[in-house]
Amino acid sequence: MSREAFVRGELGQVSPSQALFALNNRWALASAADFSSDVDVLNYALTLEYLEAAFYQQGNSAGLLSGTEQTYLAKIQSDEEYHVTALTGVIKQLGGTPVAAPGVNFGDAFASRDSFLTTSHTFENVGVGAYLGAAGYIKDKTILQAAAGIFGVEARHAAVVGNLLGLQAEGGVYMGAFETPIAKATVLKDVMPFLSSQMGGSMPSGSVDTGGGSAAARDESGLFGLGGAALVGAAGAAAYALHRRQRDEAPQEQ
Amino acid sequence: MGEQQMFDGRPVLQFRTGSDRRTFLKWAGLVGVGAGFVAGGLLGAPTAAQAAEIKRDVKAAAKAGGDVDILNYALTLEYLESDFYATGLAKGFLSGRELELVTPIGDHEKQHVEAVTAAVKALGGTPVEKPKITYPDGTFASRDSFLKTASAFEELGVTAYHGQVPLVQSTDILAAAASIAGVESRHAAVIASLIGGEPFPNPIEKHADMSTVLAAVKPLIS
Repeated sequence: MSREAFVRGELGQVSPSQALFALNNRWALASAADFSSDVDVLNYALTLEYLEAAFYQQGNSAGLLSGTEQTYLAKIQSDEEYHVTALTGVIKQLGGTPVAAPGVNFGDAFASRDSFLTTSHTFENVGVGAYLGAAGYIKDKTILQAAAGIFGVEARHAAVVGNLLGLQAEGGVYMGAFETPIAKATVLKDVMPFLSSQMGGSMPSGSVDTGGGSAAARDESGLFGLGGAALVGAAGAAAYALHRRQRDEAPQEQ
Repeated sequence: MGEQQMFDGRPVLQFRTGSDRRTFLKWAGLVGVGAGFVAGGLLGAPTAAQAAEIKRDVKAAAKAGGDVDILNYALTLEYLESDFYATGLAKGFLSGRELELVTPIGDHEKQHVEAVTAAVKALGGTPVEKPKITYPDGTFASRDSFLKTASAFEELGVTAYHGQVPLVQSTDILAAAASIAGVESRHAAVIASLIGGEPFPNPIEKHADMSTVLAAVKPLIS
């Protein structure tokens, strides 16, 4: 799928006829070879969260939003940054090596408020489907609970952004009575256009601010449950400094 | 509105049969899944001590007949939500975009009742019957009271599902429950935005054990 199609909100995913009514086998959507371990699943999730966090850092810095929209999207950004930090911490806790932040290129996604929100809506729905599609591979129950907790928040993002766009309730804000998983191969195909191995000139590394500064009023005690205030390394620190500067220039909710 | 204040602590559920009631209550007494860490507001993955607690709970759950009980617990909550929206929407408080956004929520809850009922049967269990529900005066007095209660219900439903995630044995049931939980998260966020609440209260969904959820919806039943 092309980046342009993604930005237009045309998402390749499982058809509604494959949606769950009680007990069909959701996990059959993903190949048994998709993930070899919990760390594998978590690194897959981490890649998506890096992508989302970088997406909102750039989008929110573009000055396209105001008022409630700006507040909501700033919260979403801090959620995604939190997810990056949390997943990184868990992967390390498990003795794994967190994947590096991918290079990103969002093309013309930030051309307008509409293209920003439409791309956001697509990203969030991909995120929801990706978590659901991968959850069955997680063996550790406590990690499963954390992943499910992230999944739910992505669903909140998707619904609220869909509503900001004024999309129809069913099929825009909600995607039916049951969330639909998306297989890994489809997710990767959807997001591939945004991943670049080369850093663009004005593009930061795609690492994220792990400070979560805009979320100070919220309960983030789970951070410690997820492995402490793990930073994402030197690249993350550099991006953090860059991001702080961007925030100072264009203050958001705080 | 906090969970504890819902309905001012008045009972809202009455079970048709003693058996339904016992099924619903079994978990509360049996497991009390990590009440401590839920009360502490922990998000995300538990600490090592809490992980050990979850492991104990998982064993207890398996021993107790596990997934069928979890599903019947979910079914009771879905019955409650479904009835709540049917009753509230019938009052005609909503119009325009609000009506457009809330109507599908009622439809979803109805479908959840059907799906969870089917899941219980698929496991060879007996689905609990719909409880008799009595709403305190004022629940449907206005658009505001309806939506505020809806918000409390949705947030409660989200935490209830997430509380059961580590306890579900079957991956199929887990899939079903998760795909419902995500939709409840959407509902919670949308309703919160309608009432000027916080659509994203936490970066990771919170989870609540059954006894906490029970305390919110039917404080006097035990």
